[in-house]
Parts: sequence; structure tokens; C-alpha cells
Amino acid sequence: MNELEQLAKTDTFINDREAIIDQLMEEYSDSILYLVITYVKNQTTAEDLTQEIFIKCYEKLDQFKQQSSLKTWLYRIASNHCKDYLRSWHYRKISLNEKIWEYIPSKSTNVEEEVIAKSQESNLTNAVMALPIKYREVVFLHYYEELTLAEISKITTININTLKTRLKRAKEILKDTIEEAYDE
Amino acid sequence: MSNPLSNLKSAMNKTIFKEASFSKERRIAVREAIREKQNGNQLHSWKENTILAVLESLLHEPKQGYDISTNLFQKQELSFQGNEGQLYTLLHLLENKGILISKWIEEKKYYSLSSKGKKFLASYKEESPKHLITLKSLLEEASL
Repeated sequence: MNELEQLAKTDTFINDREAIIDQLMEEYSDSILYLVITYVKNQTTAEDLTQEIFIKCYEKLDQFKQQSSLKTWLYRIASNHCKDYLRSWHYRKISLNEKIWEYIPSKSTNVEEEVIAKSQESNLTNAVMALPIKYREVVFLHYYEELTLAEISKITTININTLKTRLKRAKEILKDTIEEAYDE
Repeated sequence: MSNPLSNLKSAMNKTIFKEASFSKERRIAVREAIREKQNGNQLHSWKENTILAVLESLLHEPKQGYDISTNLFQKQELSFQGNEGQLYTLLHLLENKGILISKWIEEKKYYSLSSKGKKFLASYKEESPKHLITLKSLLEEASL
């Protein structure tokens, strides 16, 4: 990885930049996709956004300074891109339509799906995915990506104390949600 | 249940991320988009010989764009024929990269080689292919 960072830092010509993006995709494209899914909750949208994120990285490669690791830099671009998307007019219009559908109870839930839904893993995942974004993001980065709060702070540009508070609050919400699920 | 979040990674991998993967097709799409960007911004990729012909035409005296164009024509360098505007784009680029310098005399812009430009030309004449590549990459980079 250091070699790659070295390459990114020095004056690079076009072919090298392309090679850097290739290697970044090789190493991180699935992780970035997971991160994006966590933000936008839709796999196809997430794939589109991930594509855009790597193109953005290519455009911004000149701006990469070695104050952070290439991974942190990539995650920050991804996180910002997702937040921009969630703020966009397009998303808010689409999501409103989808939300209306969520309020209409589905009749087609079959037994099998219900069984899966009861599994511990689904309960935990659903509970995390149901968190408001500011909690979901820190929970994912800390517990899934196993990043330190300092690293998360660099990615999200949110200060560490705020992150601590959010993580604490997120755990409280999760505890309630999961206990509720077991009581049912 | 001490901390259910310690299982988050395996839980998410087995559920929401189970089918998720950034496919090969998606990666190729990224690569293609990048290539397109390069071509789109470059407008025109100049041949090394064309660039060197321009530099050579300025070796002995400063010239205006029109005179450079005539000089290239005499040398059978026809890249800019019918598309003279591209010559000015190239001159501008070379100026930005510090290979050419320009001076306005009586409302006409005269181009001449900078010392950097002279060095490039000299190293080319030593038939060093390395410098040729450097020159081209420099231009590609400048046009991005």
C-alpha cells in the first residue's frame, strides 16, 4: 500500500493515474460498495455511486496529500459523495415515493421470509440500517470497518467527542430495537 | 448479549452484503469513463513530430502563429491544415508549460523558445527517445 501512496504523491502521468485507480478498485471496491449501501440502502444506486466515486478519485488524485492514508482519503470522498446524493433533489423526490409504499402493508410476506427476518443476523442488520444516518455511519465505520474514532473523524470531518456521543446514543437505540424484536 | 455489535461484520456479510459485489463490468465502466475524460479534455492528441516541428520553426527567430503555420506547411507538416485553430491551442499549451514564451509587438503575438524549450529540442536532437516521451506526457498532463 505504501508503494501505491508513494506513486500517488509524486508527479504522475496519465497512465500511472489510471493504474492507481485500477489498484484502488482491486483493493477497495467491495468495501466502498458496502459503505455506500449502508448510506443509500439500495444496491443498484450504490453501484452507480461507487462508479462515480472512483471516477471522482481519478479527477482528484492530484489533491491527494500524504497527511492521510490513501484509504482514508478514498473513504472521505465516498462518504461525501453519498451525503451529496442523499441531499440531492433527485433522491428526495424518489425516496418520498418509496416511503409512501412503505406505509402500505405488504400482503405477500411469505413464511420463509418471516423465518429469515427473525434470524439474529437480520435483526441486527435491520436495526443498524434503520438508524438515522448520523448514527448509522459511525456504527458502520467503527464496528464493521473497525476504524478508530480518530480515523472516522478524518473521514467524516466530525470531531471525536461528537462521534463518541453518537456512538453511545446509537447503542442505546439499537439495544431497544433488538430487545423489542426478541420480545415479539 | 454483551455487545451485539461485535457481530455486526458477519451479520451484515450474511445478509445485506451477501449478494453485493462491485462487478468486473462496473470496473470496466469506470476505466472507460476515465479514458473518455482524457480524450475529451485533450481535444486533439498531437504527434511528437508535430510538436517538434513547431519548436524547430522557432529555433532561430520569434514568429507569429501565422508564420509558424506557413513554416510547417513548407516542411510538409500538415497536421493543422484546415484546422489552424488547433495550432493556437498547442502554442498556448506550450506557453503554459513554459516551453514557449510570447511577446506582443504591434498588436501581434510573437512566440519564441524559452530556455526550457531549447533544452527539450536539444535533447531530442541527441536522439534520446526518453525526452520525447517526457515531452508528450507533459503536454497530455497540461491539457487535462
